[in-house]
Amino acid sequence: MTQKEIHNQRLVKEAEEAMIRMHTRRHFLKECAMGFGGLALGSLLQSCSLGAGKPAAVDFDPAHPLAPKLPMFPGKAKSVIYLHMAGAPSQLEMFDYKPELMKLDGQDCPPSLLEGKRFAFIRGVPKMLGPQAKFAQYGQSGAWVSEHLPHFSKIVDEISFLKACSSDQFNHAPAQLLMQTGGARLGRPSIGSWVTYGLGTENQNLPGFVVLTSGGKFPDAGKSVWGSGFLPSVYQGVQCRSEGDPVLFIKDPAGMDRDLRKASIDAINKVNEEEYKEYNDPEILSRISQYEMAYKMQIAAPEVMNINNEPQYIHDLYGTKPGKAALANNILLARKLVEKGVRFVQIFDWGWDSHGTDASLAIDIGFINKCREVDRAMTALILDLKQRGLLEETLVVWGGEFGRTPMMENREGKQNPFKGRDHHVEAFTMWMAGGGIRKGVTYGETDEIGYSAISGKVTPHDIQATLLNQLGFDHEKFTYQYQGRPFRLTDVSGKVIEEIIT
Amino acid sequence: MLLTVTEFIGRFHPVLVHLPIGILLIGILLQWLSAYPKYNVSEPVIKIVLLIGTFSAILSCITGFLLSGSGDYDDDLVSWHMWMGIGVAAASLLFMQRILVKKNDMVTKATSISLLMLIILTGHLGGSLTHGSDYLTASLEPISDTLPKRKPIANIQEANVYNDVIQPVLQTKCYSCHSARRQKGGLRMDDPQLLMKGGKDGEIILAGKSDQSEMVKRLLLPREDEHHMPPKAKPQVNERELALIHWWIDQGADFTKKVKDLPQPEKLKPVLLALQSNHLQPKAPATVPAASVEKGDENAIRALREAGVVVVPVAQESNYLQANFVTAPNLTDEQVNLLLPLKKQLVWLKLSDTKISDKALATISGCTNLTLLYLNNTAITDKGLALLNGLHNLQVLSLVGTKVTAAGVSQLDSLKKLQSLYLYGTGIGKEDTALLRKRFSKALIDIGGYSIPFLESDTTRLSKPQVK
Repeated sequence: MTQKEIHNQRLVKEAEEAMIRMHTRRHFLKECAMGFGGLALGSLLQSCSLGAGKPAAVDFDPAHPLAPKLPMFPGKAKSVIYLHMAGAPSQLEMFDYKPELMKLDGQDCPPSLLEGKRFAFIRGVPKMLGPQAKFAQYGQSGAWVSEHLPHFSKIVDEISFLKACSSDQFNHAPAQLLMQTGGARLGRPSIGSWVTYGLGTENQNLPGFVVLTSGGKFPDAGKSVWGSGFLPSVYQGVQCRSEGDPVLFIKDPAGMDRDLRKASIDAINKVNEEEYKEYNDPEILSRISQYEMAYKMQIAAPEVMNINNEPQYIHDLYGTKPGKAALANNILLARKLVEKGVRFVQIFDWGWDSHGTDASLAIDIGFINKCREVDRAMTALILDLKQRGLLEETLVVWGGEFGRTPMMENREGKQNPFKGRDHHVEAFTMWMAGGGIRKGVTYGETDEIGYSAISGKVTPHDIQATLLNQLGFDHEKFTYQYQGRPFRLTDVSGKVIEEIIT
Repeated sequence: MLLTVTEFIGRFHPVLVHLPIGILLIGILLQWLSAYPKYNVSEPVIKIVLLIGTFSAILSCITGFLLSGSGDYDDDLVSWHMWMGIGVAAASLLFMQRILVKKNDMVTKATSISLLMLIILTGHLGGSLTHGSDYLTASLEPISDTLPKRKPIANIQEANVYNDVIQPVLQTKCYSCHSARRQKGGLRMDDPQLLMKGGKDGEIILAGKSDQSEMVKRLLLPREDEHHMPPKAKPQVNERELALIHWWIDQGADFTKKVKDLPQPEKLKPVLLALQSNHLQPKAPATVPAASVEKGDENAIRALREAGVVVVPVAQESNYLQANFVTAPNLTDEQVNLLLPLKKQLVWLKLSDTKISDKALATISGCTNLTLLYLNNTAITDKGLALLNGLHNLQVLSLVGTKVTAAGVSQLDSLKKLQSLYLYGTGIGKEDTALLRKRFSKALIDIGGYSIPFLESDTTRLSKPQVK
């Protein structure tokens, strides 16, 4: 026996002894004493706390974490499609028409707009940049839309515009986190996680919270924008694809048939059940249900997530591009998923960060291309949901994480090679439609140059509060107990935007 | 008989209780004052006062006990009141004993103080029993809660600018501190003359000059400012109300004119219009009935769930149910019968993409509380559709991708509450919509088939700025 073998043997023996020690009588008593003591203390402390006796807002059944659950009051919306244009589109070339800004085009920015303000890239005194698009009013509601959105302008009477959105984060990642999780720092659950935690999902063969990203690219804040934070991990978004396998590794590997797959999942679940009996960790039950869902998804997901079996008419409507992970394909897929009972579909598009540092980020080149990509697809989404009766119950939200400045960006005080705008938190436009949102409403107003809100200002928390309200939740009561205090999606603020809901 | 006599005696309790309160208080007071030679009262007087007080306390206890038997009162409160009352009697006995033995030590003092406390507490509890537990503090509640509801304004232009537009704002946001009941800062706002007169610091409204009016200045101060009105913790004046006040003062702060008599800036028009009762965009009618319903049959719910149907109440604390067959696409007409025991509870039903036919509609026609019904892509026909005429509460009906025709749909003329009718992918074309619009004048009829014109810009991409 070599020295090494002896050493290994000793290690194994040591591990075995440690294992046995875990189950000694003394250990049992010690654990019990702590356990009983802890239990007693827990119930004592609970009787002191103010929240004692209040029923939890949401029941959590770890064995069926995604089973359909009840909202606090009957919601107008059953599902949500959230179109997040990562990078932050310019409101001044899409919806917020500012003729006065045109008059200031090329002039130095007045100091009153710069004093005490901070920008991501603008330094010194930038020049003002007039709207780089022609505008007109459309529909009975007379909503202003730019020439870059020729299709969307035809359906403005279905939409509620929020013209005075604001944020307090001027960098992409924190602003995206604030918009999607209610907090600018990491660690909070995303809107979709809160919603699936509160409502579960209707189709147990599909994920409840699906994430689709254009070209498979991640937003700046990474996967945290669809993370589950402190909620049980089963509520995090499941990233899917509109091309190839809808979920990675969903196919059985070569040489493994479905029976064998079932047998192995059964075996794994049995081991997990034993584990659960020993440790009582609810996450183990969630894991078991996840395995079962994955098995069912193998059949259901490829069928639902295959957009190729849609008729040509639908492809023409959306302008889908076969075989691409394009925005239009994802938007069509979102409609299909919602139709099949998926609760929350989160779409991320990218490339909207129009600084003017290169042609693709120029407000008069790349930005227009982005508008062309989204215009047809988002218009088609509204029309297609509408004709299927789904817009009644599907809330569609569109927007970026902030807006863009009325000033032309001058990175590090120097003129950028192309026309561009810097990040701007004080005013930008978002829109909502369907799911009990009023039609043809424009709420909020910005000043003459679109710099800041003068009425109807809303924050990310207001938007989140409204979203939850449409699903049947009072955002102030919809909480999760964590680290000794209840947490909300809307943190400590947020007001439902009554003006845009029916 | 006995019971009625005891209750009759019991009813003297509300009168008798005032005796021990008054007499024992006098006794305690006299005893305390006896420490000062100037106010010293002869001992026998104190003794006799305490004797009568104690006697009346015991009598109150007895009558109170008899009265409590009537069961008209909150049990919990009565029990507290009773034990406190007995406590008063006991404490007064003890107090009297201390006086009789001529001891004026710490024990006697402590007894007198506890007796005083007990009298106050018992009296308060008794008051709560007769007048209600919120009687004492009701006058501190905001006045707006007690104000009568105003009549809706039919036509805002004909409305009185002060009475109908401005006063309601003052009433809800200012009167709680500045009206007949309270006049903080010497200001009363519930009377036009007094409103214009202002408070102890002078006028608050300068007609025609809103910017110089103290009232507007106060409203505009930051909420944290101690002079801001309404005070930080009170309901605030919102943007629209502020705009109305501005406008009213700028137009001369008139109390008699109608809205139409005053010039209305463009921006104010929507604000004014919003006050009009019929303008409020009609709130979408509730899709869940207001009346409550008994719990649905557990067995029926379980049977449906086992068949793969999603059946859940529409909300917490509601017994109304929603059912979705999205994960049960192979269910047929027979299984739809499982819904029957729940016909009263079902309000939202989705049978899209299932194998049901007209037969199932016979079952569904019994679910008369249905407000939303989705039958997309099923084999139903006009024949079955006629059965749905009894669904009087139906608001949304989706027949997308079915074989129904315009004639079939127009049979549904008794669905008076119908709001939306979805007919995309049926045989119904544009030429039929006129007929249907007439038949369902209040409903949105969507035959779908939308197309988006093809533009060159949809597929081309710019590589340099467009030359205009």
